[in-house]
Amino acid sequence: MTDDLRDKRTFSRGVHPPESKHVTEDRPIEPGPAVGELSILLSQHIGAPCQAAVKKGDLVEAGQKIGECQAFVCAPVHAPVPGKVRDLALKPHPVLGRCQAIAIEARDPARPSLPSFDLPADFDPARYKPDEICEAVRDAGLVGMGGAGFPTSVKIQPDAKPPKHTLLVNGCECEPYITCDYRVMLEWTDQVLAGIRLAQRACGASKVFIGIEDNKPKAIEAMTTAIARAGSAGDIRVVPLQTKYPQGGERQLINAVLGQTVPTGGIPPMIGVVVINVATAAAIADAVLYNRPLTHRVVTVTGEAIARPGNYYVSIGTPIEALIEFCGGVTEKSAKVVMGGPMMGLAIADLRTPITKTGGAVTVLTRHQIGQAKFERRQTACIRCGRCLEVCPENLNPTRIAHAVKSNLLDVAESDFISACIECGCCSYVCPANIELTGYIKTGKIFLARQRKKMPA
Amino acid sequence: MLKDITVSFAPHISQPLSTRRVMIDVAIGLLPAVAVAGIYFRIHALLLIGTCVAWCAATEWVCNRIRRKPNSLGDFSAVVTGIILALSLPPALPLWAAAIGSAVSIVVGKMAFGGLGANVFNPAMVGRAFLTASFGVMMTTWTVPASIDSGMPTLSPGDAVDTRTQATPLAWSKTAIKEGGEAKTYSSRLFLSTMTGEVAGCLGETSAIAILLGGAYLLWRKTIGFHIPAAVLGSAFVAAAIAYLVNADTYVQPFFHLTSGALLFGAFFIATDPVTAPLTRRGMWLFGIGIGTITMIIRILGEYPEGMMFAVLLMNAVTPLIDRLCKRIPAGGKSHA
Repeated sequence: MTDDLRDKRTFSRGVHPPESKHVTEDRPIEPGPAVGELSILLSQHIGAPCQAAVKKGDLVEAGQKIGECQAFVCAPVHAPVPGKVRDLALKPHPVLGRCQAIAIEARDPARPSLPSFDLPADFDPARYKPDEICEAVRDAGLVGMGGAGFPTSVKIQPDAKPPKHTLLVNGCECEPYITCDYRVMLEWTDQVLAGIRLAQRACGASKVFIGIEDNKPKAIEAMTTAIARAGSAGDIRVVPLQTKYPQGGERQLINAVLGQTVPTGGIPPMIGVVVINVATAAAIADAVLYNRPLTHRVVTVTGEAIARPGNYYVSIGTPIEALIEFCGGVTEKSAKVVMGGPMMGLAIADLRTPITKTGGAVTVLTRHQIGQAKFERRQTACIRCGRCLEVCPENLNPTRIAHAVKSNLLDVAESDFISACIECGCCSYVCPANIELTGYIKTGKIFLARQRKKMPA
Repeated sequence: MLKDITVSFAPHISQPLSTRRVMIDVAIGLLPAVAVAGIYFRIHALLLIGTCVAWCAATEWVCNRIRRKPNSLGDFSAVVTGIILALSLPPALPLWAAAIGSAVSIVVGKMAFGGLGANVFNPAMVGRAFLTASFGVMMTTWTVPASIDSGMPTLSPGDAVDTRTQATPLAWSKTAIKEGGEAKTYSSRLFLSTMTGEVAGCLGETSAIAILLGGAYLLWRKTIGFHIPAAVLGSAFVAAAIAYLVNADTYVQPFFHLTSGALLFGAFFIATDPVTAPLTRRGMWLFGIGIGTITMIIRILGEYPEGMMFAVLLMNAVTPLIDRLCKRIPAGGKSHA
């Protein structure tokens, strides 16, 4: 064990929700559904939305760039299948409500075929220039596939200050139910490792750590073996972490693995750390070695209300409706469709919402799983028990912030560091009064942004 | 395909824990003390506890009707208030007085502030303070446990005049302070009794073992944190130890202070009432140290033999200030970079 690693290998506080990984963890990645019409949203990342590069009626080829970047923090989008642009219109977006999108009518709808990836025997990341890697990653439209969707090329660019010394690869997948990253680590191990080494080459980090929760021993073993096989054991290490939510939160992961803390309001590069997700790493290898843009991703379709849960290789732009239907539809008990996992995922109101680059899971929950009180959204008075303070990974005072927002005291919420909230949901999860603390805090953040005119009302 | 899907904020799952469960846990934690009260004070204990619980619940129901609010008896907080109030009353208190105390607890202590979660003071202590101020003699008439005086259980409750009474351990230690010299005799003679509960005192406060048992359950269930009890008992011990070191003849030994009177019961069941205690850990330490210290100042220097109730109410009053003083600092530091 080196000096960089601490003994405890976890962050403080947090919660232990039921893991529920058993539903899909042993199901290999399979091709997803054949879809007649795909909706490619123009904003699938953090940053400026991209501009449509095609017109209505244009014919597009698979992998053709259909959304261009005008800004630096942006990622282009590509057509997953050959077909015709049917429309440019507003489509349901999981976060924004509605967003400009390009609707593509597939020429002949077919199930996507699993990509082949053969690592060249003489693969050596040193033969690629950092700028080349960044360029390829940018062209392929890569964004963080773990959820936030920050453009990857901006993250790993070589000339950023301060210099990055450590690359942290996030294989935690701490959300209950989701297993897409787990399957990627097991089945595409070499590709993930190649992507990690390319990212390391690009950002110039001297050390690489892969953080994996200890409820995934097979993934830990697969990655460790692959590293030894590639002869990278010197600078790449797998770090098993305690299984605890939100271990895979960027700030929590850095704290667990390196023992360092990202300053409040800061981002990891400020302390010389780059964090990427394992699925993103696999996509980097695809982009650099095969020039494949990010048009498909592995999505876990799961939940006790789904007839055939599994891990599917799905075209981005596939409506959730089609995906659920492909998995045998839902049972009568289902009460909520969530894009993502049950802790941070977004409840979907419109089932035509398409899969985005960041959507790693579709979870269909039953009323029983949501819990009767939560289903009815019945809240009682705060008894100041302090459980939310005990679990907050950012050491905030959730009940104070939430009640300040409720009373419209945004200045109080700000002085209690509302902006430092990572919205992990631990406080709402433990609250015995069933108060939607995270919901109030999210609302407060939106109010504050509107006050500062950053967001239209 | 799907007709009724709900949309709400994440997270979509939650821990199966409710306010009701928290309150039921507190009630379970109080059971050993209730049992010991039943053993030593027989029918008095059961009638008092029953009266307080019934009156607290009835008062809350009436208050909600008057305020046109939904019935809140389901959260069991009124039951807990009733049990705690009853356990902090002298065994021979007339039932009508207990009923008045219960009503004051709920009306003045809780519903006037807006119900559970909004009250500033511990409701049970508000009721007890009212009784102490109104019926001073009844509130300081201490019945001998049934095991010492077998005649006691036959007495009708309220007939306090004929009851054989006895001074509480703390009253003895107060006498020692005032008249001097006998502290050692008192404490060595009574220490074992304060552990088992076979001694005069408030219903639920006499047996240290029963209270520790219930407290351990609450700690194990994580219903309470160890911070407040540790701070209360620790600071009280230090204060008592200082007095003991100054004059061991006048002041009883510190462990005796911990096991007698309301200190132990208060540390585990009264001071830990989440609604009226600070939120942050630093705040809890301050709050607990305040209670422990004030209690000991009253016990050692004050006129009253016991000061737990006043200490809790005083510290309840400053809890909002403590919360303001002990802000939480985010994991990433204070700066809004």
